Amino acid sequence: MAEYFEDPRKARWRNVGLAAAFLVAALFLYFLPQNYQTPIRRAIRGTVLTPFIWVQGEVVSQTARAEAMRRLRAERDSLLAVASAQASLGEENRQLRELLGLRDRVVGSFVPAELVRVGTPGGESSFLLDVGREDGVAVGSPVIASGGLLGVVWEVGATSSQAIDWTHPDFRASAMTADGQASGIVESRRGRYREEDRLALVGAPFHTDVAPGTRVVTSGRGGLYPRGILLGTVAGVEEAEPGWRKTYLVRPAIRPEGVTHVLVGTPGDASLAPLWTGGELDPLGPDEP
Amino acid sequence: MSDGWGFWVFIGVLVAAHFGLHLSLGIEAAAPDLLTIAVLLAARELPGGPAAGVGFALGILEDAVSLGAFGAAAVTLTLVGYVGARSRDLFVGDSAFFLGSYLFLGAWIQDLLYFSLAGGVRRGEPVDALLVTAPLEALYAALIGLVAVVLYRTVR
Repeated sequence: MAEYFEDPRKARWRNVGLAAAFLVAALFLYFLPQNYQTPIRRAIRGTVLTPFIWVQGEVVSQTARAEAMRRLRAERDSLLAVASAQASLGEENRQLRELLGLRDRVVGSFVPAELVRVGTPGGESSFLLDVGREDGVAVGSPVIASGGLLGVVWEVGATSSQAIDWTHPDFRASAMTADGQASGIVESRRGRYREEDRLALVGAPFHTDVAPGTRVVTSGRGGLYPRGILLGTVAGVEEAEPGWRKTYLVRPAIRPEGVTHVLVGTPGDASLAPLWTGGELDPLGPDEP
Repeated sequence: MSDGWGFWVFIGVLVAAHFGLHLSLGIEAAAPDLLTIAVLLAARELPGGPAAGVGFALGILEDAVSLGAFGAAAVTLTLVGYVGARSRDLFVGDSAFFLGSYLFLGAWIQDLLYFSLAGGVRRGEPVDALLVTAPLEALYAALIGLVAVVLYRTVR
């Protein structure tokens, strides 16, 4: 009714002003630093979008249950076979550690989590997890699926978190070949389509030749990922800078598309001091005054 | 097209379907961008300011699950909402061809803007993405949007 009495030019300028205000607000959010964007994103995910995220969790649970049962049985049988064949290794290892004066190996702790995939354009290469700070998850926690490293936690809320998988342009992992001959940084190589995505081992020494099929694992350098998590196998040389370094293409150990359940690493004692038994052998002990 | 609250229920259903397909079912490019379609249809019924507001609000929802491009969807959908509303001053029509063309162009423009703002998180070469993938995705969204409008008009 009011529009019949309102000056059309005034109404038009009011609309332009309103639209400009929304645009400025949107640009403000776009240019906001990452650490200020995170709480806003988390608040929206935890309120308006909760029902949609909850539904995916339920769908994933239902469809994965039967499949998981079959897979778990097969994995348990395989593990039994491996464990019985290597029964004496644990005891040998304990005796050798005793001889060297080493304590038991530090074992990282993990929490199981359900993975919720994000299908929006901006959410590609990322996923949501139903575990958060209350479960001991922190920014940088590794996300491991059966078969190898899937990604790393990027944002953490109280009961949920968001992570990137290895196809994300920002993914990096300190890595080495399983035999320790070459080491470098593993990063993603995105293809035109998701199926073409690969990893690359960058910065390997030029003088070493890594044969195709060699396994690449995390090296544990930098402390972000535990040592020894499988990343993939070498597919071939991507690039060689004469006399300097080589880059190898790596066939990933796992594809992110089919993963529904993962293990998320929880930060434990980051100090190496507990590895040594005696104080006189503790190189990281406090300096004498 | 507007039929009072019934139209806004229809827009709400499109938004819910978008998040249902992309977030609840985790479908990526195989599911159409119904959020842009919802903004474009709503914009034909609203003045420029409120249409930009609808785009902003829905864009923020989309951005909430986007790592590395927060705010990009809010900016693009705000612009699409405003331009969509102002397009009534230039083009008037209610035929399926007109509506389909409007939705196709709107969805393509949205993709162009989004790619320019969130290029780092999008896949592929810019030329391929903007001239091959984006028009195909826009065509797909426009067709689904057209079917949804026909269904809405039938039910109304």
